Amino acid sequence: MVSVPSAGRVQQHISAIASGFLGDWLEHRGNALAVPMTVFADGEPLDLLNPRPAAPGSVLCLSIHGLMELESVWDFPGQPGKHYGTGLAERLGDASALKLRFNSGRPIYRNGQDLAALLERLVSNWPVPVTRLVLIGHSMGGLLIRSACHYGAENDDSWVRLNPDCVYIGSPHDGSWLAVGAHKAAGWLNRVPRDYLKVVGEVIDLRSEGIRNLSRGEVFEPGTAHQPLLAGARHYVISGLLARGEEHLVNALFGDALVHEASARGARQPGWQLTGTANFPGVDHIRLAHHSAVARQLEEWLV
Amino acid sequence: MKPTHSNAHWWLGVADLLAHGVQHGAVKLQRIHLSVADESFRVLEAIPATRHSSRIVRVCHHEISRLSYTGLSLAGRAAAGLAARAAAGHVRKHDLNVNNS
Repeated sequence: MVSVPSAGRVQQHISAIASGFLGDWLEHRGNALAVPMTVFADGEPLDLLNPRPAAPGSVLCLSIHGLMELESVWDFPGQPGKHYGTGLAERLGDASALKLRFNSGRPIYRNGQDLAALLERLVSNWPVPVTRLVLIGHSMGGLLIRSACHYGAENDDSWVRLNPDCVYIGSPHDGSWLAVGAHKAAGWLNRVPRDYLKVVGEVIDLRSEGIRNLSRGEVFEPGTAHQPLLAGARHYVISGLLARGEEHLVNALFGDALVHEASARGARQPGWQLTGTANFPGVDHIRLAHHSAVARQLEEWLV
Repeated sequence: MKPTHSNAHWWLGVADLLAHGVQHGAVKLQRIHLSVADESFRVLEAIPATRHSSRIVRVCHHEISRLSYTGLSLAGRAAAGLAARAAAGHVRKHDLNVNNS
């Protein structure tokens, strides 16, 4: 049976896509399409000052989506509400699976700062003492985790002292080839002495700061020196590839469709000590967010 | 911004975005239109037989085009202003209701 999304769901998707493309501009204008940062438990938004989930656990698994996505990207096909977080929560016991929704067009460092503050409020106000924090980020969501860890440590937030488990799934730590391509295409078109081509370059240049950040995996405020991964935390990387054969030309050109394997592993990031890495040939960028093989890998690492 | 307001507020956001699209899109479309037309007019101006008449047609074409696109852009600007004002009024009313409840 084909499921038909409700009008509200369609509106949420339109908001997520508009926010991804023009999120910083929408926010600046106070436009209702700008998605506010919200935490969901069992599909319901949580009041961070007084979170009252149905069964609060002492372990929090927060899943963070990527550019232009909604928290529904995590749900296994045909199983709404079932995702990596719920699987981990079941296996860990005494755990709560949460999802984040945010405006993915804002600069990543600003979302990272807000996520750090949000985690501080969430952990401080959680009905039971939080003993462990698992952060799972898909694509841009992984970059948000790195940013939040930096700003959380800078602010000496209590959640940072929990030494979170940070999982980066298909995150372009060294940039995404598509974002780099858009940047180069806009630059070239803007230099061509033909107005009709310049306009195309200008339209590409309308893209949000969030998308621009993806061209080089920028997660900190401009002017900030390179920061290492959060010390004490455990960092896991998961990457995907379009074709099943690892050496396939398609994988060398496009990686998982948007992110190359080397970028997902942060190959150009100096001094990274990763707790675990896993590559899934044949699993593309979007399917990395809801794939049974990835779920098994996460349980192997985190349970 | 508050997490959610209402369906009406969301549609005002869509109207604001579309109106801005029309306002700025018309200006960009005008530039594309005129620069593509200039390519053809340049060819016609290079031919002695069509040089004089093409100059006259070019001026008329460009002026009519500018007038049309400017009108469209101004309409978009007015619509964006209206949508923004309506959205701001909606937020004020929503906040007032929240404070009174």
